[in-house]
Amino acid sequence: MRTKFILSILFFIPVLFVQITLVQFITWGAITPNFILILLVFYSIFHGQLYGTVLGFVYGLLFDLITGGLLGSAMLSYTLAGFIAGYFSNENKRHIYLKPFSYGFIVLLCSITASIIYSIFSTIDFSTNIITSLFEEGLLPGLYTSVVAIIIIYFYPRRKLLES
Amino acid sequence: MLKIFSSFWNKFKEYIVLVILILVSLFTLSNNNNSAVKNVRIIAFSSFAFFSNIISDITSSTLIKNKNKKLRKLNAELMLQVNLLRKYGIENQELKSLLSLKDTASYPLISASVVSKSLNTASNTFTLNSGKTDGVKPGMPVINDLGLIGIVYTVSDNYSIIKTLRNVELRITVKDERSRVNAILKWDGDDLILTNIPKTSDIKIGDRIVSSDISTIVPLPIPIGYIISINNKSTDIFNRVKIKSFADLTSVENVFIIKMIKSFQVNKMELNFFKKRNSAN
Repeated sequence: MRTKFILSILFFIPVLFVQITLVQFITWGAITPNFILILLVFYSIFHGQLYGTVLGFVYGLLFDLITGGLLGSAMLSYTLAGFIAGYFSNENKRHIYLKPFSYGFIVLLCSITASIIYSIFSTIDFSTNIITSLFEEGLLPGLYTSVVAIIIIYFYPRRKLLES
Repeated sequence: MLKIFSSFWNKFKEYIVLVILILVSLFTLSNNNNSAVKNVRIIAFSSFAFFSNIISDITSSTLIKNKNKKLRKLNAELMLQVNLLRKYGIENQELKSLLSLKDTASYPLISASVVSKSLNTASNTFTLNSGKTDGVKPGMPVINDLGLIGIVYTVSDNYSIIKTLRNVELRITVKDERSRVNAILKWDGDDLILTNIPKTSDIKIGDRIVSSDISTIVPLPIPIGYIISINNKSTDIFNRVKIKSFADLTSVENVFIIKMIKSFQVNKMELNFFKKRNSAN
């Protein structure tokens, strides 16, 4: 369990590098894909809900500390995203959930939740239309992240997935 | 008792952990300005920024070739403008001396590169590779050749984090360059908007917005953007004015930090007042 956890933290570091240095080249307006969330959903499906929740918390804490954002906002959103993704960690159905479109849908669900919670805590501005805000800050980044997730999981070796 | 607790834990451990972690997150959210939290953050981001600086150097070197070509052209255009401005500068100095006005101070610039970016819709932050050792302090304005980028927020020895214009926590006093109307600039999560502009104010689409002289954060006129729309709702007493920033925050790589925090004179006055009060005591 400890090795698994350390490994997932070690994998997080290069993904965080990508998120804060290279992701700027593939932004669409202010909308960016969330690679950290893709990794979090993957681990949550693999190792269960409790694992995903704790891992989400740790990822959020590190992200907040390193990027200088509002400390606690990413912690909260990733914790909830890990918890939601953990619902799909059934051992008998894991191979189904890790198929590109199923995985993309799970990422979409988690990403929308995480984006909305993150934006609620970082943009408390009631002057903007709530529907527009939910669309721009929740749905659009979620859709972009899920498309990227589908592409990544599509090229991930299937045999390796099924073996593990 | 232990058995009951154990069975309760086994049944609901996911929910218990979730609630605990949410509470910890909320507690952390409410303690963001704690000095201990700030210190931990400085250590974390400065140690990580060292590595992201290396990656950023590698990626940016591939883009340099294309930029060089564009910059050479810009350089030639600027050279022509500089000649013109030099002429105006001499005239300006002569006129000022005739009117016996004191000249405004020029501020030294600290050059820096963007090491990493936290891009999201609400709270954009950039990490720069200049810190305390270069003379950077929290509150200093950050600019590039096009205009204002943001304000320095946290500083470590070699790195600093800035809150960009696309950060909901950043609010700057600005003015319309043409009509001199002052307003507060903020990012609402979607757009850069000007608040507190009465409907009767003289503002037009296309007007240039610069930082205001009355701003305590950026008290010198730095270009910020231009007005793209004015939402004139009949129910409000204020206009909702949308701004487009001159600087493209998604592609910015090299910036300059203006080595100033507040108006020097205001600081000096406050310092004198403070000294007088102390000596009186």
